[in-house]
Amino acid sequence: MQAILISDKEYQTEAYKRLNQLVTIFLTEKGMKLTETQLDRNDLAFCKGCFGCWIKKPGECVISDAMAQINHGFINSQLAIYLCPVIFGQFSSNIKNALDRCIPNILPFFETRPDGSTMHPARYRSYPKQIIIGYGDDLSEEDRNLFIDITKKHRRNVEVLIYQGNDAEISQALSQMELKKAGDEL
Amino acid sequence: MNQDAKQVVLIKSSPKMTEESTSGLLTDKLENLMKTERLEIYRINVRKSLIQGKTEADFEAMLKADALVFVFPLYVFCLPGMLMRFLQDYYAFGLNRPDRKKTRVYAVVNCGFTEAGINQEAVRVIKSFSQKTNYDFRFGIMIGGGGLLLGAQEAPFMKKTMTELGNSLKQIVYDIKNCPDDRVENISITMNFPRRLYHFMGNRGWFSMAKKNGLQKKDLYRKPYERYTD
Repeated sequence: MQAILISDKEYQTEAYKRLNQLVTIFLTEKGMKLTETQLDRNDLAFCKGCFGCWIKKPGECVISDAMAQINHGFINSQLAIYLCPVIFGQFSSNIKNALDRCIPNILPFFETRPDGSTMHPARYRSYPKQIIIGYGDDLSEEDRNLFIDITKKHRRNVEVLIYQGNDAEISQALSQMELKKAGDEL
Repeated sequence: MNQDAKQVVLIKSSPKMTEESTSGLLTDKLENLMKTERLEIYRINVRKSLIQGKTEADFEAMLKADALVFVFPLYVFCLPGMLMRFLQDYYAFGLNRPDRKKTRVYAVVNCGFTEAGINQEAVRVIKSFSQKTNYDFRFGIMIGGGGLLLGAQEAPFMKKTMTELGNSLKQIVYDIKNCPDDRVENISITMNFPRRLYHFMGNRGWFSMAKKNGLQKKDLYRKPYERYTD
C-alpha cells in the first residue's frame, strides 16, 4: 500500500516534528510504503490560471516542476496525508500551491451534485483517501472552525484533523479511518 | 498629493500572467469609482510584486494605507496559494512596525461556480488576517458565476447584475470615505442567468478551447497518471 505525505518545510515547528513522527510511525505500522515531500517556498511555481491542464495537455500541468511527480504519486497512492500549518484559518502558501495545482486531476466541466451544489467531475475512477492535518500554536476556535469548513464544507472525500499537541487524539482518529482508495466522489 | 485624501491600496490577486481576468476587471471598476471620489490609490498586482521582487515597496504602501481592498478569484474553495504567500510575507514584514495604522480591510472574491456563498470561507480568511494584523475588517463582496463578467457584462440580461455589482463596489468606496462604525454584512452577487444554461455553455466552451489546441473531445478525458485500477 502506497501513501504520500506532503508537508511544509517552512513551518517545521516542534509540533510539526512530533506530528510527522507520529504519522510516519502509524503508517509504517500499517505496512504502508511512504513517500514524503517537504515543500519549501520556491519548490513549486504558483498556478497561473491558464487552464492548460484541461485544454492543452489534459491531466498534466504545463509548468515543469515537482508538481508532476506529486500528482503522479497522488493518483497512484491509497492514501494522501497533508501536514498543514494553519495560517489565517487556511492552508499555508506552500501547501495551498500544491492543492491549487491538483486541478489537472479533475475534469473542467461543471456538474450539479445531488445536494444541488456545483462541482467539477472526477477525471479518474478512484482517488486516494485524503487526510489533512492542520497544526499551529495557539489556534483560535474561529480559525480551527474556518480550517474545518474550508476543508470539508464543499468536498466529500477529505478528512480533516487539527493537531494541538494531543498525540493520542490523532492516533485514535487515524486508527478509526479506512485507509484505502476513496472512489471518485470529490 | 492631497494630504486629506484617504489612501487606498487595491490588491489584485489573479494568478493569471498577462491574460484579462475577472479580478482585473473588478479592480479597474473600483479604481474608477475611487478616482471619482478623489481617493488616493496605490495599485498592486500580487503576481508581479512577488515575481519581480518588489514586495517591500508594496508592503510599505500597505502599512501607510487607510484601506486595503483584496480582489481575487476563489481557488479550490479558498485563497490562491500566491495570495497566501503575499499575506504571509506581509504579516512577517509588518509585525513589529510601530507605524501601523488601524486600516480598514475589504475583500472582493469571485468564483466560476454560480453559488456566491462558496466564497464565504475566503472572506473569513481575509477577516482572520485582519484580526491577526489588528486591522478593521469591514465586509466582503462574494460573486458567483464570475465567468460571465468578462465576456457578457454589456449583455442586456446582465444589466440587473451589473447594477447590483456597481452598487456593492460603491459601498466599499462609501465605507472608506466616510468611515462609519456600524457593522456591514457581506454582499452576495449572483448572475441573473439560468444555472443549467451557464453549465451547458461553460462545458461547451472547454471543448471549443481544446479544439483550438488541436485536441479532440475525447482527449479532454485523458488519464495520464493512471497506472492501475483497484
